[in-house]
Amino acid sequence: MIEANDVALTYSDGTKALKNVNLKIGPGELVYITGHSGSGKTSLLKLLMGIEFPSSGKLTVLGQRMKKGNDRKLRKLRRKIGPVFQEFKLIERRTALENVMIGMRILGIPPRKMKQEAMEALKKVGLEHKLHTPVEHLSWGEAQRVAIARAVVRKPALLIADEPTGNLDHNNALNILHILNSFRDEKTAVIITTHATHLIEGQDATYIRVQEGEITIEQRRVAG
Amino acid sequence: MKVFFYNLGYFILEAFRTIRFHPLSNLFSFLGTGFILFLFGLVLTGWAVGDELVGALEQEAQVSAYFADQVGEAGAKQIITKMKTLDGVWEARYVTAGEAYAKNRELLGNEAEILRLFDNNPFEAFVEIKIDLNKMDQVLSQISSMKGIEYVRDNRDILEKLKGIVDAIKLLGGVIAAAVGITTLVIISHMIRQGIYHNKEQINTLRLLGAPNSFIAFPFVMAGLLLTLLGGGLAAALIIVMMNQGYQSIGEYIMFLPLPPAQELCRFIVAIILGISAALGLVGSLFGVSSIQKEG
Repeated sequence: MIEANDVALTYSDGTKALKNVNLKIGPGELVYITGHSGSGKTSLLKLLMGIEFPSSGKLTVLGQRMKKGNDRKLRKLRRKIGPVFQEFKLIERRTALENVMIGMRILGIPPRKMKQEAMEALKKVGLEHKLHTPVEHLSWGEAQRVAIARAVVRKPALLIADEPTGNLDHNNALNILHILNSFRDEKTAVIITTHATHLIEGQDATYIRVQEGEITIEQRRVAG
Repeated sequence: MKVFFYNLGYFILEAFRTIRFHPLSNLFSFLGTGFILFLFGLVLTGWAVGDELVGALEQEAQVSAYFADQVGEAGAKQIITKMKTLDGVWEARYVTAGEAYAKNRELLGNEAEILRLFDNNPFEAFVEIKIDLNKMDQVLSQISSMKGIEYVRDNRDILEKLKGIVDAIKLLGGVIAAAVGITTLVIISHMIRQGIYHNKEQINTLRLLGAPNSFIAFPFVMAGLLLTLLGGGLAAALIIVMMNQGYQSIGEYIMFLPLPPAQELCRFIVAIILGISAALGLVGSLFGVSSIQKEG
Protein backbone atom coordinates (compact mmCIF):
# COMPACT_ATOMS: atom_id res chain seq x y z
CA MET A 1 0.00 0.00 0.00
CA ILE A 2 2.76 2.45 0.98
CA GLU A 3 6.42 1.80 0.43
CA ALA A 4 9.24 4.29 1.00
CA ASN A 5 12.88 3.52 0.20
CA ASP A 6 15.52 6.01 1.28
CA VAL A 7 13.12 8.90 0.83
CA ALA A 8 14.32 12.41 1.61
CA LEU A 9 12.52 15.73 1.41
CA THR A 10 14.36 19.01 1.18
CA TYR A 11 12.32 22.20 0.74
CA SER A 12 13.31 24.83 -1.80
CA ASP A 13 14.77 27.03 0.98
CA GLY A 14 17.20 24.23 1.83
CA THR A 15 15.37 22.94 4.91
CA LYS A 16 15.86 19.20 5.22
CA ALA A 17 12.45 18.02 6.41
CA LEU A 18 12.94 14.26 6.04
CA LYS A 19 15.98 12.04 5.70
CA ASN A 20 16.42 8.43 4.84
CA VAL A 21 12.81 7.33 5.33
CA ASN A 22 12.22 3.62 4.88
CA LEU A 23 8.83 2.16 5.69
CA LYS A 24 6.11 -0.17 4.54
CA ILE A 25 2.44 0.16 5.46
CA GLY A 26 -0.09 -2.47 4.46
CA PRO A 27 -3.90 -2.54 4.16
CA GLY A 28 -5.83 -2.50 7.42
CA GLU A 29 -2.89 -1.14 9.37
CA LEU A 30 -3.29 1.55 12.03
CA VAL A 31 -0.25 3.81 12.14
CA TYR A 32 0.48 6.55 14.63
CA ILE A 33 3.15 9.04 13.69
CA THR A 34 4.44 10.90 16.68
CA GLY A 35 7.02 13.57 17.22
CA HIS A 36 7.45 17.14 18.39
CA SER A 37 6.24 20.12 16.42
CA GLY A 38 8.51 20.67 13.42
CA SER A 39 9.92 17.15 13.60
CA GLY A 40 8.67 16.28 10.10
CA LYS A 41 5.33 14.54 10.77
CA THR A 42 3.29 16.81 8.51
CA SER A 43 6.01 16.70 5.85
CA LEU A 44 5.68 12.91 5.81
CA LEU A 45 1.91 13.20 5.35
CA LYS A 46 2.42 15.78 2.61
CA LEU A 47 4.55 13.25 0.76
CA LEU A 48 1.86 10.58 1.14
CA MET A 49 -0.83 12.92 -0.23
CA GLY A 50 1.30 14.21 -3.08
CA ILE A 51 1.42 17.77 -1.77
CA GLU A 52 5.20 17.47 -1.71
CA PHE A 53 7.42 15.06 -3.62
CA PRO A 54 10.56 13.21 -2.56
CA SER A 55 13.81 15.04 -3.28
CA SER A 56 15.45 11.63 -3.48
CA GLY A 57 14.54 7.99 -2.94
CA LYS A 58 11.46 6.11 -4.07
CA LEU A 59 7.98 6.46 -2.65
CA THR A 60 4.95 4.46 -3.81
CA VAL A 61 1.45 5.12 -2.47
CA LEU A 62 -1.42 2.81 -3.48
CA GLY A 63 0.66 1.60 -6.40
CA GLN A 64 1.41 5.12 -7.62
CA ARG A 65 5.02 6.28 -7.78
CA MET A 66 5.09 9.72 -6.21
CA LYS A 67 6.93 12.13 -8.46
CA LYS A 68 6.29 15.55 -9.87
CA GLY A 69 4.59 16.15 -13.19
CA ASN A 70 1.84 13.58 -13.32
CA ASP A 71 -1.16 15.62 -12.25
CA ARG A 72 -3.76 13.33 -13.74
CA LYS A 73 -2.50 10.24 -11.90
CA LEU A 74 -2.04 12.29 -8.75
CA ARG A 75 -5.66 13.45 -8.83
CA LYS A 76 -6.79 9.85 -9.28
CA LEU A 77 -4.67 8.81 -6.31
CA ARG A 78 -6.08 11.60 -4.13
CA ARG A 79 -9.58 10.30 -4.82
CA LYS A 80 -8.58 7.08 -3.04
CA ILE A 81 -7.31 8.94 0.02
CA GLY A 82 -9.46 10.35 2.81
CA PRO A 83 -7.57 13.31 4.25
CA VAL A 84 -8.37 15.01 7.55
CA PHE A 85 -6.32 18.17 7.58
CA GLN A 86 -4.98 19.84 10.67
CA GLU A 87 -6.93 23.00 9.85
CA PHE A 88 -9.83 20.87 8.46
CA LYS A 89 -10.08 22.76 5.13
CA LEU A 90 -13.86 22.78 5.21
CA ILE A 91 -15.54 24.97 2.64
CA GLU A 92 -17.06 27.99 4.31
CA ARG A 93 -20.62 29.15 3.76
CA ARG A 94 -21.60 25.59 3.02
CA THR A 95 -23.43 23.31 5.43
CA ALA A 96 -21.92 20.27 7.11
CA LEU A 97 -23.86 18.04 4.71
CA GLU A 98 -22.65 19.97 1.64
CA ASN A 99 -19.07 19.70 2.87
CA VAL A 100 -19.32 15.95 3.26
CA MET A 101 -20.99 15.58 -0.13
CA ILE A 102 -18.32 17.59 -1.94
CA GLY A 103 -15.80 14.80 -1.46
CA MET A 104 -18.25 12.36 -3.04
CA ARG A 105 -19.24 14.59 -5.96
CA ILE A 106 -15.73 14.30 -7.35
CA LEU A 107 -16.16 10.52 -7.45
CA GLY A 108 -19.33 10.74 -9.55
CA ILE A 109 -21.69 9.11 -7.04
CA PRO A 110 -25.41 9.43 -7.96
CA PRO A 111 -27.02 12.36 -6.07
CA ARG A 112 -29.54 10.36 -4.03
CA LYS A 113 -26.99 7.78 -2.88
CA MET A 114 -24.50 10.57 -2.18
CA LYS A 115 -26.90 12.43 0.11
CA GLN A 116 -27.92 9.29 1.95
CA GLU A 117 -24.34 8.17 2.57
CA ALA A 118 -23.25 11.67 3.61
CA MET A 119 -26.07 11.80 6.15
CA GLU A 120 -25.08 8.38 7.47
CA ALA A 121 -21.44 9.46 7.80
CA LEU A 122 -22.45 12.55 9.73
CA LYS A 123 -24.67 10.42 11.93
CA LYS A 124 -21.74 8.11 12.59
CA VAL A 125 -19.66 11.02 13.88
CA GLY A 126 -22.59 12.24 15.99
CA LEU A 127 -23.63 15.22 13.93
CA GLU A 128 -27.03 14.15 12.62
CA HIS A 129 -28.53 17.25 14.26
CA LYS A 130 -26.12 19.63 12.46
CA LEU A 131 -26.62 18.52 8.87
CA HIS A 132 -27.75 21.91 7.63
CA THR A 133 -25.59 24.09 9.84
CA PRO A 134 -23.01 26.20 8.01
CA VAL A 135 -19.58 24.95 9.03
CA GLU A 136 -18.44 28.34 10.35
CA HIS A 137 -21.15 28.01 13.02
CA LEU A 138 -19.77 24.71 14.29
CA SER A 139 -17.44 24.27 17.28
CA TRP A 140 -13.85 23.14 16.74
CA GLY A 141 -14.66 19.55 17.65
CA GLU A 142 -17.78 19.49 15.45
CA ALA A 143 -15.88 20.91 12.48
CA GLN A 144 -13.26 18.23 12.97
CA ARG A 145 -15.92 15.55 12.93
CA VAL A 146 -17.32 16.98 9.68
CA ALA A 147 -13.80 16.75 8.22
CA ILE A 148 -13.60 13.12 9.37
CA ALA A 149 -17.03 12.35 7.86
CA ARG A 150 -15.91 13.95 4.58
CA ALA A 151 -12.79 11.77 4.56
CA VAL A 152 -14.41 8.46 5.45
CA VAL A 153 -17.58 8.76 3.38
CA ARG A 154 -15.52 8.17 0.24
CA LYS A 155 -14.51 4.74 1.61
CA PRO A 156 -10.86 5.52 1.04
CA ALA A 157 -8.10 2.96 0.85
CA LEU A 158 -6.01 5.28 2.98
CA LEU A 159 -7.33 7.51 5.75
CA ILE A 160 -4.85 10.18 6.78
CA ALA A 161 -5.42 12.50 9.73
CA ASP A 162 -2.99 15.27 10.61
CA GLU A 163 -2.99 16.17 14.32
CA PRO A 164 -6.67 15.40 14.89
CA THR A 165 -6.23 15.68 18.64
CA GLY A 166 -4.67 19.13 18.60
CA ASN A 167 -6.65 21.84 20.40
CA LEU A 168 -9.01 19.27 21.93
CA ASP A 169 -9.48 18.38 25.58
CA HIS A 170 -8.66 14.86 26.77
CA ASN A 171 -12.16 13.39 26.34
CA ASN A 172 -12.82 14.94 22.95
CA ALA A 173 -9.38 13.87 21.72
CA LEU A 174 -10.05 10.29 22.80
CA ASN A 175 -13.43 10.41 21.13
CA ILE A 176 -11.89 11.59 17.84
CA LEU A 177 -9.26 8.85 17.93
CA HIS A 178 -11.96 6.32 18.65
CA ILE A 179 -14.01 7.53 15.65
CA LEU A 180 -10.98 7.39 13.34
CA ASN A 181 -10.04 3.90 14.51
CA SER A 182 -13.57 2.69 13.90
CA PHE A 183 -13.13 3.25 10.16
CA ARG A 184 -10.13 0.98 9.97
CA ASP A 185 -10.94 -2.30 8.30
CA GLU A 186 -9.15 -5.00 6.29
CA LYS A 187 -8.92 -2.68 3.26
CA THR A 188 -8.43 0.73 4.82
CA ALA A 189 -5.18 1.76 6.45
CA VAL A 190 -5.40 4.63 8.93
CA ILE A 191 -2.48 6.98 9.50
CA ILE A 192 -2.70 9.51 12.30
CA THR A 193 -0.11 12.06 13.37
CA THR A 194 -0.19 13.31 16.93
CA HIS A 195 2.13 14.61 19.60
CA ALA A 196 -0.28 13.47 22.34
CA THR A 197 1.48 10.14 22.90
CA HIS A 198 -0.33 9.49 26.18
CA LEU A 199 -3.62 9.07 24.24
CA ILE A 200 -2.40 6.32 21.95
CA GLU A 201 -0.39 4.03 24.14
CA GLY A 202 -0.90 0.27 24.14
CA GLN A 203 -2.94 -0.07 20.99
CA ASP A 204 -2.79 -2.66 18.27
CA ALA A 205 -0.95 -0.28 15.98
CA THR A 206 2.32 0.67 14.37
CA TYR A 207 4.09 3.60 16.04
CA ILE A 208 6.44 5.69 14.01
CA ARG A 209 8.49 8.31 15.76
CA VAL A 210 9.80 11.24 13.75
CA GLN A 211 12.73 13.18 15.14
CA GLU A 212 14.59 15.86 13.20
CA GLY A 213 13.42 14.36 9.91
CA GLU A 214 14.40 10.79 10.68
CA ILE A 215 11.93 8.07 11.47
CA THR A 216 12.08 5.22 13.92
CA ILE A 217 9.52 2.44 13.85
CA GLU A 218 8.98 1.78 17.52
CA GLN A 219 6.40 -0.96 17.47
CA ARG A 220 4.80 -2.82 14.60
CA ARG A 221 1.58 -4.72 14.85
CA VAL A 222 -0.52 -5.50 11.85
CA ALA A 223 -4.20 -5.81 12.41
CA GLY A 224 -5.80 -9.01 11.63
CA MET B 1 -19.27 12.79 -18.15
CA LYS B 2 -21.05 10.96 -15.31
CA VAL B 3 -19.52 13.39 -12.81
CA PHE B 4 -20.75 16.30 -14.93
CA PHE B 5 -24.37 15.10 -15.17
CA TYR B 6 -24.66 14.08 -11.54
CA ASN B 7 -23.33 17.45 -10.46
CA LEU B 8 -25.07 19.78 -12.90
CA GLY B 9 -27.35 21.13 -10.18
CA TYR B 10 -24.35 21.67 -7.93
CA PHE B 11 -22.46 23.53 -10.67
CA ILE B 12 -25.42 25.86 -11.26
CA LEU B 13 -25.82 26.46 -7.53
CA GLU B 14 -22.09 27.13 -7.16
CA ALA B 15 -22.18 29.57 -10.10
CA PHE B 16 -24.96 31.54 -8.39
CA ARG B 17 -23.03 31.38 -5.11
CA THR B 18 -19.90 32.72 -6.79
CA ILE B 19 -21.95 35.68 -7.96
CA ARG B 20 -23.89 36.12 -4.70
CA PHE B 21 -20.88 35.97 -2.38
CA HIS B 22 -19.23 38.97 -4.05
CA PRO B 23 -22.27 41.06 -4.97
CA LEU B 24 -20.63 44.44 -5.38
CA SER B 25 -17.77 43.41 -7.66
CA ASN B 26 -20.15 41.24 -9.69
CA LEU B 27 -22.66 44.09 -9.94
CA PHE B 28 -19.92 46.31 -11.36
CA SER B 29 -18.86 43.55 -13.74
CA PHE B 30 -22.47 43.13 -14.89
CA LEU B 31 -22.92 46.88 -15.39
CA GLY B 32 -19.51 47.24 -17.03
CA THR B 33 -20.19 44.37 -19.42
CA GLY B 34 -23.69 45.68 -20.08
CA PHE B 35 -22.49 49.17 -20.97
CA ILE B 36 -19.61 47.90 -23.09
CA LEU B 37 -21.97 45.64 -25.00
CA PHE B 38 -24.37 48.59 -25.31
CA LEU B 39 -21.50 50.55 -26.86
CA PHE B 40 -20.91 47.60 -29.13
CA GLY B 41 -24.61 47.73 -30.04
CA LEU B 42 -24.25 51.43 -30.84
CA VAL B 43 -21.24 50.65 -33.01
CA LEU B 44 -23.27 47.96 -34.75
CA THR B 45 -26.10 50.42 -35.30
CA GLY B 46 -23.62 52.93 -36.69
CA TRP B 47 -22.15 50.20 -38.82
CA ALA B 48 -25.55 49.20 -40.17
CA VAL B 49 -26.38 52.83 -40.97
CA GLY B 50 -22.89 53.27 -42.42
CA ASP B 51 -23.38 50.14 -44.49
CA GLU B 52 -26.62 51.56 -45.84
CA LEU B 53 -24.81 54.82 -46.57
CA VAL B 54 -21.93 52.96 -48.19
CA GLY B 55 -24.40 51.04 -50.30
CA ALA B 56 -26.08 54.27 -51.35
CA LEU B 57 -22.72 55.92 -52.07
CA GLU B 58 -21.58 52.93 -54.05
CA GLN B 59 -24.74 53.14 -56.12
CA GLU B 60 -23.77 56.69 -57.00
CA ALA B 61 -20.42 55.66 -58.47
CA GLN B 62 -21.02 56.64 -62.03
CA VAL B 63 -19.01 57.21 -65.22
CA SER B 64 -19.99 58.59 -68.64
CA ALA B 65 -18.90 57.09 -71.95
CA TYR B 66 -19.12 59.03 -75.24
CA PHE B 67 -19.61 57.44 -78.61
CA ALA B 68 -17.45 57.82 -81.70
CA ASP B 69 -18.96 60.03 -84.45
CA GLN B 70 -20.01 57.21 -86.77
CA VAL B 71 -22.08 55.43 -84.09
CA GLY B 72 -25.75 56.06 -84.57
CA GLU B 73 -28.56 55.53 -82.00
CA ALA B 74 -29.01 51.88 -82.97
CA GLY B 75 -25.26 51.23 -82.69
CA ALA B 76 -25.19 53.02 -79.34
CA LYS B 77 -27.95 50.80 -78.00
CA GLN B 78 -26.04 47.69 -79.12
CA ILE B 79 -22.95 48.93 -77.29
CA ILE B 80 -25.03 49.54 -74.16
CA THR B 81 -26.48 46.03 -74.29
CA LYS B 82 -22.94 44.65 -74.46
CA MET B 83 -21.82 47.00 -71.70
CA LYS B 84 -24.50 45.67 -69.35
CA THR B 85 -22.98 42.20 -69.55
CA LEU B 86 -19.61 43.40 -68.21
CA ASP B 87 -18.67 42.28 -64.69
CA GLY B 88 -18.78 45.34 -62.43
CA VAL B 89 -21.41 47.24 -64.42
CA TRP B 90 -24.61 47.65 -62.42
CA GLU B 91 -26.55 49.81 -64.83
CA ALA B 92 -25.99 51.43 -68.21
CA ARG B 93 -28.47 53.99 -69.57
CA TYR B 94 -28.59 55.78 -72.91
CA VAL B 95 -28.81 59.55 -72.45
CA THR B 96 -29.97 61.36 -75.58
CA ALA B 97 -28.45 64.67 -76.67
CA GLY B 98 -31.69 66.44 -75.68
CA GLU B 99 -31.62 64.87 -72.23
CA ALA B 100 -27.95 65.86 -71.86
CA TYR B 101 -28.87 69.45 -72.75
CA ALA B 102 -31.67 69.53 -70.15
CA LYS B 103 -29.42 68.04 -67.49
CA ASN B 104 -26.68 70.58 -68.05
CA ARG B 105 -29.18 73.40 -68.15
CA GLU B 106 -30.34 72.33 -64.72
CA LEU B 107 -26.78 72.00 -63.48
CA LEU B 108 -25.76 75.43 -64.70
CA GLY B 109 -28.71 77.12 -63.00
CA ASN B 110 -28.44 80.91 -63.43
CA GLU B 111 -25.51 80.43 -65.80
CA ALA B 112 -27.71 78.39 -68.18
CA GLU B 113 -28.33 81.52 -70.26
CA ILE B 114 -24.95 80.89 -71.85
CA LEU B 115 -26.47 77.94 -73.72
CA ARG B 116 -28.60 80.38 -75.76
CA LEU B 117 -25.40 81.48 -77.53
CA PHE B 118 -25.31 78.12 -79.35
CA ASP B 119 -27.39 77.65 -82.49
CA ASN B 120 -27.37 73.91 -82.06
CA ASN B 121 -27.31 71.65 -79.04
CA PRO B 122 -23.62 71.48 -78.04
CA PHE B 123 -24.11 68.27 -76.07
CA GLU B 124 -23.84 64.77 -77.46
CA ALA B 125 -25.69 61.62 -76.53
CA PHE B 126 -23.74 59.44 -74.12
CA VAL B 127 -24.10 56.45 -71.87
CA GLU B 128 -24.45 56.82 -68.10
CA ILE B 129 -22.89 53.79 -66.35
CA LYS B 130 -23.22 52.92 -62.68
CA ILE B 131 -20.30 50.75 -61.62
CA ASP B 132 -19.02 48.64 -58.74
CA LEU B 133 -16.39 50.76 -57.01
CA ASN B 134 -14.31 47.74 -56.12
CA LYS B 135 -13.97 46.87 -59.82
CA MET B 136 -13.45 50.42 -60.98
CA ASP B 137 -10.11 49.97 -62.79
CA GLN B 138 -11.17 46.79 -64.56
CA VAL B 139 -14.50 48.26 -65.72
CA LEU B 140 -12.97 51.53 -66.94
CA SER B 141 -10.35 49.70 -68.97
CA GLN B 142 -12.96 47.41 -70.55
CA ILE B 143 -15.32 50.27 -71.43
CA SER B 144 -12.50 52.41 -72.88
CA SER B 145 -11.43 49.59 -75.16
CA MET B 146 -14.94 48.90 -76.51
CA LYS B 147 -15.43 49.48 -80.18
CA GLY B 148 -17.53 52.61 -80.81
CA ILE B 149 -16.50 54.31 -77.55
CA GLU B 150 -14.32 57.32 -78.08
CA TYR B 151 -13.94 58.75 -74.64
CA VAL B 152 -14.77 57.85 -71.03
CA ARG B 153 -15.19 60.54 -68.40
CA ASP B 154 -14.43 58.61 -65.26
CA ASN B 155 -14.32 61.22 -62.47
CA ARG B 156 -11.52 59.04 -61.10
CA ASP B 157 -10.60 61.50 -58.33
CA ILE B 158 -14.13 61.57 -56.99
CA LEU B 159 -14.53 57.82 -57.31
CA GLU B 160 -11.29 57.21 -55.45
CA LYS B 161 -12.31 59.58 -52.66
CA LEU B 162 -15.64 57.81 -52.45
CA LYS B 163 -13.89 54.48 -52.21
CA GLY B 164 -11.61 55.89 -49.50
CA ILE B 165 -14.62 57.02 -47.44
CA VAL B 166 -16.27 53.63 -47.80
CA ASP B 167 -13.09 51.79 -46.76
CA ALA B 168 -12.55 54.15 -43.81
CA ILE B 169 -16.09 53.56 -42.51
CA LYS B 170 -15.58 49.79 -42.75
CA LEU B 171 -12.16 49.94 -41.07
CA LEU B 172 -13.41 52.17 -38.24
CA GLY B 173 -16.29 49.79 -37.59
CA GLY B 174 -13.90 46.84 -37.50
CA VAL B 175 -11.48 48.58 -35.13
CA ILE B 176 -14.25 49.61 -32.71
CA ALA B 177 -15.78 46.13 -32.78
CA ALA B 178 -12.36 44.58 -32.04
CA ALA B 179 -11.73 47.08 -29.21
CA VAL B 180 -15.10 46.33 -27.62
CA GLY B 181 -14.53 42.58 -27.98
CA ILE B 182 -11.09 42.71 -26.38
CA THR B 183 -12.31 44.96 -23.53
CA THR B 184 -15.18 42.59 -22.76
CA LEU B 185 -12.80 39.62 -22.79
CA VAL B 186 -10.45 41.41 -20.39
CA ILE B 187 -13.30 42.37 -18.02
CA ILE B 188 -14.76 38.87 -17.96
CA SER B 189 -11.46 37.06 -17.54
CA HIS B 190 -10.46 39.54 -14.80
CA MET B 191 -13.78 38.96 -13.07
CA ILE B 192 -13.26 35.18 -13.21
CA ARG B 193 -9.71 35.50 -11.92
CA GLN B 194 -11.03 37.60 -9.04
CA GLY B 195 -13.58 34.89 -8.29
CA ILE B 196 -10.82 32.28 -8.34
CA TYR B 197 -8.67 34.44 -6.06
CA HIS B 198 -11.53 34.89 -3.57
CA ASN B 199 -12.15 31.13 -3.61
CA LYS B 200 -8.56 29.94 -3.63
CA GLU B 201 -8.95 28.10 -0.31
CA GLN B 202 -11.94 26.20 -1.63
CA ILE B 203 -10.13 25.44 -4.89
CA ASN B 204 -7.12 24.18 -2.97
CA THR B 205 -9.35 21.89 -0.88
CA LEU B 206 -11.05 20.49 -3.98
CA ARG B 207 -7.65 19.87 -5.49
CA LEU B 208 -6.50 18.00 -2.40
CA LEU B 209 -9.63 15.87 -2.60
CA GLY B 210 -8.67 14.93 -6.15
CA ALA B 211 -11.06 17.15 -8.13
CA PRO B 212 -10.17 17.48 -11.80
CA ASN B 213 -9.61 20.98 -13.18
CA SER B 214 -12.84 20.83 -15.15
CA PHE B 215 -14.81 20.14 -11.95
CA ILE B 216 -13.20 23.13 -10.23
CA ALA B 217 -13.49 25.44 -13.23
CA PHE B 218 -17.03 24.69 -14.39
CA PRO B 219 -18.93 26.83 -11.83
CA PHE B 220 -16.63 29.77 -12.59
CA VAL B 221 -17.18 29.40 -16.33
CA MET B 222 -20.94 29.25 -15.72
CA ALA B 223 -20.81 32.34 -13.49
CA GLY B 224 -18.85 34.24 -16.15
CA LEU B 225 -21.22 33.13 -18.87
CA LEU B 226 -24.25 34.06 -16.77
CA LEU B 227 -22.91 37.53 -15.90
CA THR B 228 -21.98 38.27 -19.50
CA LEU B 229 -25.36 37.10 -20.73
CA LEU B 230 -27.02 39.33 -18.13
CA GLY B 231 -24.79 42.18 -19.36
CA GLY B 232 -25.86 41.31 -22.91
CA GLY B 233 -29.50 41.41 -21.77
CA LEU B 234 -28.98 44.86 -20.26
CA ALA B 235 -27.30 46.07 -23.46
CA ALA B 236 -30.11 44.61 -25.58
CA ALA B 237 -32.73 46.33 -23.42
CA LEU B 238 -30.91 49.67 -23.76
CA ILE B 239 -30.64 49.20 -27.52
CA ILE B 240 -34.38 48.49 -27.79
CA VAL B 241 -35.15 51.63 -25.76
CA MET B 242 -32.75 53.67 -27.90
CA MET B 243 -34.24 52.32 -31.12
CA ASN B 244 -37.77 53.10 -29.98
CA GLN B 245 -36.94 56.57 -28.73
CA GLY B 246 -34.18 58.05 -30.80
CA TYR B 247 -33.63 56.17 -34.04
CA GLN B 248 -36.28 57.81 -36.20
CA SER B 249 -35.26 61.27 -35.04
CA ILE B 250 -31.81 60.70 -36.60
CA GLY B 251 -33.55 60.39 -39.95
CA GLU B 252 -35.55 63.54 -39.28
CA TYR B 253 -32.44 65.59 -38.46
CA ILE B 254 -30.17 64.23 -41.17
CA MET B 255 -32.44 63.96 -44.15
CA PHE B 256 -29.87 62.67 -46.62
CA LEU B 257 -28.88 59.74 -44.38
CA PRO B 258 -30.48 56.52 -45.57
CA LEU B 259 -31.60 54.45 -42.54
CA PRO B 260 -32.27 50.71 -42.51
CA PRO B 261 -35.74 49.70 -41.17
CA ALA B 262 -35.75 50.16 -37.36
CA GLN B 263 -37.44 46.90 -36.28
CA GLU B 264 -35.35 44.72 -38.54
CA LEU B 265 -32.17 46.43 -37.38
CA CYS B 266 -33.21 46.17 -33.73
CA ARG B 267 -33.86 42.42 -34.00
CA PHE B 268 -30.53 41.92 -35.77
CA ILE B 269 -28.55 43.90 -33.18
CA VAL B 270 -30.23 42.25 -30.17
CA ALA B 271 -29.49 38.80 -31.64
CA ILE B 272 -25.88 39.76 -32.34
CA ILE B 273 -25.39 41.23 -28.84
CA LEU B 274 -26.78 38.15 -27.11
CA GLY B 275 -24.73 35.85 -29.33
CA ILE B 276 -21.58 37.89 -28.86
CA SER B 277 -22.11 38.15 -25.09
CA ALA B 278 -22.46 34.36 -24.82
CA ALA B 279 -19.36 33.81 -26.96
CA LEU B 280 -17.32 36.47 -25.13
CA GLY B 281 -18.52 35.16 -21.76
CA LEU B 282 -17.43 31.66 -22.64
CA VAL B 283 -14.05 32.66 -24.09
CA GLY B 284 -13.38 35.19 -21.30
CA SER B 285 -14.29 32.63 -18.63
CA LEU B 286 -12.10 29.96 -20.19
CA PHE B 287 -9.29 32.49 -20.37
CA GLY B 288 -9.92 33.38 -16.72
CA VAL B 289 -9.95 29.78 -15.50
CA SER B 290 -6.73 29.04 -17.34
CA SER B 291 -5.04 30.18 -14.12
CA ILE B 292 -6.49 27.06 -12.46
CA GLN B 293 -4.92 24.87 -15.12
CA LYS B 294 -1.56 26.65 -14.77
CA GLU B 295 -1.44 25.96 -11.05
CA GLY B 296 -1.83 22.27 -11.84
